[in-house]
Amino acid sequence: MEERLYDLIFICRPATPEEEIKKIVATVEHACEDKDKGGKIEKIEQWGTRKLAYRVAKHREGYYVYVQIRTAHGELTHELERRLRVHDAVIKYITVRLDEDLQRQLKLTRRREKRVARKGRRQPAAAPAGGGEQTAAAS
Amino acid sequence: MAEEQKQQSQGTGGSGAPPRREGGPSGPRREGGGHAGPRREGGPGGGPGGPRRGKRQYFRKKKVCKFCVEKIDFIDYKRTEYLVPYVQEKGKILPRRLTGTCSRHQRWLGVAIKRARNIALMPYATSAAGVLPVHRQGPAAGHAAAPAPATATPAPSPTSPAPGADVPAQPKPE
Repeated sequence: MEERLYDLIFICRPATPEEEIKKIVATVEHACEDKDKGGKIEKIEQWGTRKLAYRVAKHREGYYVYVQIRTAHGELTHELERRLRVHDAVIKYITVRLDEDLQRQLKLTRRREKRVARKGRRQPAAAPAGGGEQTAAAS
Repeated sequence: MAEEQKQQSQGTGGSGAPPRREGGPSGPRREGGGHAGPRREGGPGGGPGGPRRGKRQYFRKKKVCKFCVEKIDFIDYKRTEYLVPYVQEKGKILPRRLTGTCSRHQRWLGVAIKRARNIALMPYATSAAGVLPVHRQGPAAGHAAAPAPATATPAPSPTSPAPGADVPAQPKPE
Protein backbone atom coordinates (compact mmCIF):
# COMPACT_ATOMS: atom_id res chain seq x y z
CA MET A 1 0.00 0.00 0.00
CA GLU A 2 1.24 3.31 -0.85
CA GLU A 3 2.35 5.59 1.87
CA ARG A 4 0.57 8.77 2.69
CA LEU A 5 1.66 11.92 4.38
CA TYR A 6 -0.44 13.46 7.08
CA ASP A 7 -0.25 16.65 9.05
CA LEU A 8 -1.45 16.48 12.58
CA ILE A 9 -1.82 19.68 14.54
CA PHE A 10 -3.23 19.84 17.99
CA ILE A 11 -3.77 22.69 20.39
CA CYS A 12 -3.37 22.34 24.12
CA ARG A 13 -4.66 24.63 26.78
CA PRO A 14 -2.20 27.46 27.40
CA ALA A 15 -1.88 26.57 31.07
CA THR A 16 -0.82 23.02 30.38
CA PRO A 17 2.50 22.18 32.08
CA GLU A 18 5.30 21.11 29.81
CA GLU A 19 5.41 17.62 31.19
CA GLU A 20 1.82 17.13 30.19
CA ILE A 21 2.58 18.22 26.66
CA LYS A 22 5.56 15.92 26.56
CA LYS A 23 3.31 13.14 27.69
CA ILE A 24 0.85 13.81 24.89
CA VAL A 25 3.62 13.89 22.34
CA ALA A 26 4.88 10.64 23.75
CA THR A 27 1.49 9.03 23.30
CA VAL A 28 1.41 10.19 19.72
CA GLU A 29 4.86 8.76 19.14
CA HIS A 30 3.87 5.57 20.84
CA ALA A 31 0.83 5.17 18.62
CA CYS A 32 3.01 5.64 15.57
CA GLU A 33 5.40 2.97 16.67
CA ASP A 34 2.74 0.31 16.47
CA LYS A 35 3.87 -2.49 14.22
CA ASP A 36 0.62 -3.27 12.46
CA LYS A 37 -0.83 0.17 12.02
CA GLY A 38 2.20 2.26 12.63
CA GLY A 39 3.88 5.00 10.73
CA LYS A 40 6.93 7.14 10.62
CA ILE A 41 7.09 10.52 12.28
CA GLU A 42 8.79 12.89 9.88
CA LYS A 43 8.66 16.01 11.95
CA ILE A 44 7.61 17.22 15.33
CA GLU A 45 7.47 20.94 15.89
CA GLN A 46 6.28 22.75 18.95
CA TRP A 47 5.07 26.12 17.86
CA GLY A 48 4.52 27.21 21.42
CA THR A 49 1.77 29.44 22.72
CA ARG A 50 0.01 31.29 19.96
CA LYS A 51 -2.99 33.52 19.80
CA LEU A 52 -6.04 31.73 18.52
CA ALA A 53 -8.04 33.37 15.77
CA TYR A 54 -11.21 32.67 17.67
CA ARG A 55 -12.18 31.38 21.06
CA VAL A 56 -11.78 27.67 21.53
CA ALA A 57 -13.07 26.16 24.75
CA LYS A 58 -13.04 29.63 26.29
CA HIS A 59 -9.36 30.11 25.52
CA ARG A 60 -7.85 32.85 23.44
CA GLU A 61 -4.42 31.28 23.31
CA GLY A 62 -3.23 27.80 22.77
CA TYR A 63 -0.09 25.74 22.69
CA TYR A 64 0.37 24.37 19.18
CA VAL A 65 2.12 21.13 18.40
CA TYR A 66 2.68 20.07 14.83
CA VAL A 67 3.44 16.50 13.81
CA GLN A 68 4.02 15.18 10.33
CA ILE A 69 3.43 11.49 9.86
CA ARG A 70 4.05 9.19 6.95
CA THR A 71 2.04 6.03 7.06
CA ALA A 72 0.45 3.45 4.85
CA HIS A 73 -2.40 2.90 7.28
CA GLY A 74 -5.16 5.44 7.33
CA GLU A 75 -6.51 3.98 10.54
CA LEU A 76 -3.55 5.42 12.36
CA THR A 77 -5.03 8.89 12.03
CA HIS A 78 -8.27 7.68 13.55
CA GLU A 79 -6.35 6.19 16.40
CA LEU A 80 -4.38 9.39 16.98
CA GLU A 81 -7.48 11.51 16.87
CA ARG A 82 -9.18 9.23 19.32
CA ARG A 83 -6.29 9.56 21.74
CA LEU A 84 -6.20 13.32 21.42
CA ARG A 85 -9.92 13.54 21.95
CA VAL A 86 -9.60 11.67 25.19
CA HIS A 87 -6.99 14.08 26.51
CA ASP A 88 -8.38 16.91 28.56
CA ALA A 89 -5.55 19.27 27.77
CA VAL A 90 -6.11 19.09 24.00
CA ILE A 91 -8.77 21.54 22.92
CA LYS A 92 -8.49 21.19 19.16
CA TYR A 93 -6.81 18.98 16.63
CA ILE A 94 -6.77 18.52 12.89
CA THR A 95 -5.43 15.94 10.51
CA VAL A 96 -4.77 16.91 6.92
CA ARG A 97 -3.68 14.63 4.15
CA LEU A 98 -0.84 16.31 2.38
CA ASP A 99 0.66 13.89 -0.11
CA GLU A 100 -1.82 14.58 -2.88
CA ASP A 101 -1.12 18.29 -2.77
CA LEU A 102 2.60 17.74 -2.61
CA GLN A 103 2.46 15.37 -5.53
CA ARG A 104 0.58 17.91 -7.56
CA GLN A 105 3.17 20.46 -6.64
CA LEU A 106 5.94 18.16 -7.79
CA LYS A 107 4.19 17.53 -11.05
CA LEU A 108 3.69 21.19 -11.75
CA THR A 109 7.24 22.11 -10.90
CA ARG A 110 8.53 19.39 -13.17
CA ARG A 111 6.33 20.54 -15.96
CA ARG A 112 7.52 24.07 -15.48
CA GLU A 113 11.13 23.00 -15.61
CA LYS A 114 10.43 21.07 -18.79
CA ARG A 115 8.83 24.08 -20.33
CA VAL A 116 11.75 26.29 -19.43
CA ALA A 117 14.16 23.77 -20.86
CA ARG A 118 12.16 23.54 -24.06
CA LYS A 119 12.14 27.29 -24.46
CA GLY A 120 15.87 27.36 -23.96
CA ARG A 121 16.40 24.84 -26.73
CA ARG A 122 13.88 26.51 -29.03
CA GLN A 123 12.80 23.33 -30.64
CA PRO A 124 9.42 22.56 -32.15
CA ALA A 125 6.95 21.66 -29.48
CA ALA A 126 6.01 18.19 -30.73
CA ALA A 127 8.76 15.98 -29.30
CA PRO A 128 9.14 17.60 -25.86
CA ALA A 129 5.38 17.74 -25.38
CA GLY A 130 5.18 13.97 -25.62
CA GLY A 131 7.95 13.63 -23.09
CA GLY A 132 6.21 16.00 -20.72
CA GLU A 133 3.03 13.97 -20.82
CA GLN A 134 4.89 10.82 -20.06
CA THR A 135 6.58 12.28 -17.03
CA ALA A 136 3.30 13.69 -15.85
CA ALA A 137 1.67 10.30 -16.10
CA ALA A 138 4.59 8.66 -14.37
CA SER A 139 4.57 11.07 -11.48
CA MET B 1 -16.07 62.15 -14.02
CA ALA B 2 -17.64 65.55 -13.97
CA GLU B 3 -15.25 66.80 -16.57
CA GLU B 4 -15.87 63.86 -18.79
CA GLN B 5 -19.59 64.36 -18.66
CA LYS B 6 -19.22 67.95 -19.63
CA GLN B 7 -17.07 67.01 -22.53
CA GLN B 8 -19.58 64.46 -23.64
CA SER B 9 -22.42 66.90 -23.61
CA GLN B 10 -20.36 69.28 -25.64
CA GLY B 11 -19.43 66.60 -28.09
CA THR B 12 -22.89 65.24 -28.72
CA GLY B 13 -24.83 68.46 -28.64
CA GLY B 14 -22.32 70.83 -30.10
CA SER B 15 -19.99 71.11 -32.99
CA GLY B 16 -17.32 68.55 -32.15
CA ALA B 17 -18.57 65.16 -33.21
CA PRO B 18 -20.87 65.41 -36.25
CA PRO B 19 -18.51 67.17 -38.64
CA ARG B 20 -15.91 64.59 -37.94
CA ARG B 21 -18.06 61.72 -38.98
CA GLU B 22 -19.17 63.45 -42.13
CA GLY B 23 -15.67 64.41 -42.96
CA GLY B 24 -14.74 60.81 -43.51
CA PRO B 25 -11.65 58.95 -42.52
CA SER B 26 -9.21 61.63 -43.45
CA GLY B 27 -10.52 64.18 -41.00
CA PRO B 28 -10.10 62.39 -37.77
CA ARG B 29 -6.74 61.09 -38.76
CA ARG B 30 -5.38 64.50 -39.32
CA GLU B 31 -6.82 65.80 -36.14
CA GLY B 32 -5.73 62.90 -34.12
CA GLY B 33 -2.27 62.90 -35.53
CA GLY B 34 -1.76 66.62 -35.30
CA HIS B 35 -2.92 67.50 -31.84
CA ALA B 36 -3.48 65.48 -28.80
CA GLY B 37 -5.86 68.05 -27.37
CA PRO B 38 -8.88 67.97 -29.71
CA ARG B 39 -8.78 64.26 -29.98
CA ARG B 40 -9.17 63.89 -26.29
CA GLU B 41 -12.09 66.24 -26.19
CA GLY B 42 -14.03 64.57 -28.93
CA GLY B 43 -13.13 61.07 -27.92
CA PRO B 44 -15.74 60.06 -25.40
CA GLY B 45 -18.71 61.72 -27.06
CA GLY B 46 -18.20 61.50 -30.78
CA GLY B 47 -15.79 58.67 -31.26
CA PRO B 48 -17.89 55.59 -30.56
CA GLY B 49 -20.90 57.21 -32.20
CA GLY B 50 -23.20 55.17 -30.01
CA PRO B 51 -25.43 56.30 -27.19
CA ARG B 52 -24.50 59.09 -24.88
CA ARG B 53 -23.59 56.71 -22.13
CA GLY B 54 -20.39 57.66 -20.39
CA LYS B 55 -17.51 55.39 -21.12
CA ARG B 56 -15.23 55.71 -18.23
CA GLN B 57 -11.78 55.92 -19.55
CA TYR B 58 -9.47 55.32 -16.69
CA PHE B 59 -6.39 53.25 -16.66
CA ARG B 60 -6.63 50.14 -14.66
CA LYS B 61 -3.42 48.56 -13.68
CA LYS B 62 -3.54 45.01 -14.82
CA LYS B 63 -3.59 42.70 -11.85
CA VAL B 64 -1.31 39.75 -11.88
CA CYS B 65 -1.60 36.63 -9.84
CA LYS B 66 1.08 36.85 -7.20
CA PHE B 67 1.32 33.10 -6.88
CA CYS B 68 1.92 32.75 -10.61
CA VAL B 69 4.61 35.38 -10.55
CA GLU B 70 6.41 33.73 -7.69
CA LYS B 71 5.75 30.29 -9.18
CA ILE B 72 4.15 28.80 -6.12
CA ASP B 73 2.69 25.38 -6.78
CA PHE B 74 1.49 24.69 -3.31
CA ILE B 75 -0.13 27.03 -0.83
CA ASP B 76 0.58 25.93 2.68
CA TYR B 77 -2.24 26.47 5.12
CA LYS B 78 0.20 26.61 8.02
CA ARG B 79 1.90 29.75 6.80
CA THR B 80 -0.70 32.34 7.50
CA GLU B 81 1.51 35.19 6.41
CA TYR B 82 0.82 34.11 2.84
CA LEU B 83 -2.91 33.89 3.41
CA VAL B 84 -3.55 37.06 5.36
CA PRO B 85 -3.36 39.44 2.37
CA TYR B 86 -6.21 37.55 0.70
CA VAL B 87 -8.60 37.86 3.58
CA GLN B 88 -10.64 40.77 4.81
CA GLU B 89 -10.14 42.05 8.29
CA LYS B 90 -13.21 40.17 9.35
CA GLY B 91 -11.90 36.95 7.91
CA LYS B 92 -13.79 36.84 4.65
CA ILE B 93 -11.91 35.53 1.65
CA LEU B 94 -11.36 38.30 -0.87
CA PRO B 95 -12.79 37.73 -4.33
CA ARG B 96 -10.57 37.15 -7.29
CA ARG B 97 -11.63 40.33 -8.99
CA LEU B 98 -10.08 42.37 -6.21
CA THR B 99 -6.87 40.47 -5.70
CA GLY B 100 -6.14 39.48 -9.27
CA THR B 101 -5.38 35.90 -8.33
CA CYS B 102 -5.78 33.39 -11.13
CA SER B 103 -8.57 30.87 -10.83
CA ARG B 104 -6.36 27.93 -10.07
CA HIS B 105 -4.53 29.68 -7.28
CA GLN B 106 -7.71 31.14 -5.90
CA ARG B 107 -9.04 27.65 -5.61
CA TRP B 108 -6.00 26.49 -3.72
CA LEU B 109 -6.05 29.61 -1.64
CA GLY B 110 -9.62 28.96 -0.61
CA VAL B 111 -8.76 25.46 0.50
CA ALA B 112 -5.73 26.68 2.42
CA ILE B 113 -7.66 29.41 4.17
CA LYS B 114 -10.39 27.03 5.14
CA ARG B 115 -7.89 24.59 6.56
CA ALA B 116 -6.20 27.36 8.49
CA ARG B 117 -9.56 28.41 9.86
CA ASN B 118 -10.23 24.95 11.08
CA ILE B 119 -7.23 24.96 13.38
CA ALA B 120 -7.74 28.52 14.60
CA LEU B 121 -4.88 30.01 12.63
CA MET B 122 -7.31 32.24 10.76
CA PRO B 123 -10.63 33.68 11.87
CA TYR B 124 -13.90 32.38 10.52
CA ALA B 125 -15.95 35.54 10.75
CA THR B 126 -15.36 38.06 13.46
CA SER B 127 -16.10 41.73 13.69
CA ALA B 128 -13.42 44.06 12.41
CA ALA B 129 -12.40 45.07 15.90
CA GLY B 130 -11.43 41.53 16.76
CA VAL B 131 -12.95 38.75 18.74
CA LEU B 132 -13.86 40.81 21.76
CA PRO B 133 -17.18 42.36 20.74
CA VAL B 134 -18.67 39.01 19.95
CA HIS B 135 -17.73 37.87 23.37
CA ARG B 136 -19.09 40.92 25.14
CA GLN B 137 -22.41 41.17 23.36
CA GLY B 138 -24.81 38.33 23.56
CA PRO B 139 -26.38 36.38 20.71
CA ALA B 140 -28.99 39.12 20.39
CA ALA B 141 -26.31 41.56 19.32
CA GLY B 142 -25.12 39.09 16.75
CA HIS B 143 -28.57 39.05 15.22
CA ALA B 144 -28.64 42.81 15.19
CA ALA B 145 -25.37 42.94 13.31
CA ALA B 146 -26.51 40.46 10.72
CA PRO B 147 -29.19 42.54 8.94
CA ALA B 148 -26.78 45.42 8.36
CA PRO B 149 -23.64 43.84 7.00
CA ALA B 150 -22.94 46.65 4.57
CA THR B 151 -21.74 48.93 7.30
CA ALA B 152 -19.25 46.96 9.25
CA THR B 153 -18.27 49.71 11.63
CA PRO B 154 -19.49 49.37 15.17
CA ALA B 155 -21.08 52.81 15.11
CA PRO B 156 -24.20 51.97 13.08
CA SER B 157 -25.30 49.21 15.39
CA PRO B 158 -26.89 51.59 17.91
CA THR B 159 -28.56 53.50 15.11
CA SER B 160 -29.84 50.43 13.32
CA PRO B 161 -32.59 49.63 15.84
CA ALA B 162 -34.41 52.79 14.80
CA PRO B 163 -35.18 51.66 11.23
CA GLY B 164 -35.50 48.08 12.30
CA ALA B 165 -38.46 48.72 14.57
CA ASP B 166 -39.65 45.16 14.26
CA VAL B 167 -37.08 44.06 16.82
CA PRO B 168 -37.94 45.85 20.07
CA ALA B 169 -35.65 43.67 22.13
CA GLN B 170 -32.51 45.29 20.77
CA PRO B 171 -32.44 48.54 22.73
CA LYS B 172 -32.89 46.79 26.04
CA PRO B 173 -29.51 45.09 26.29
CA GLU B 174 -27.79 48.26 25.22
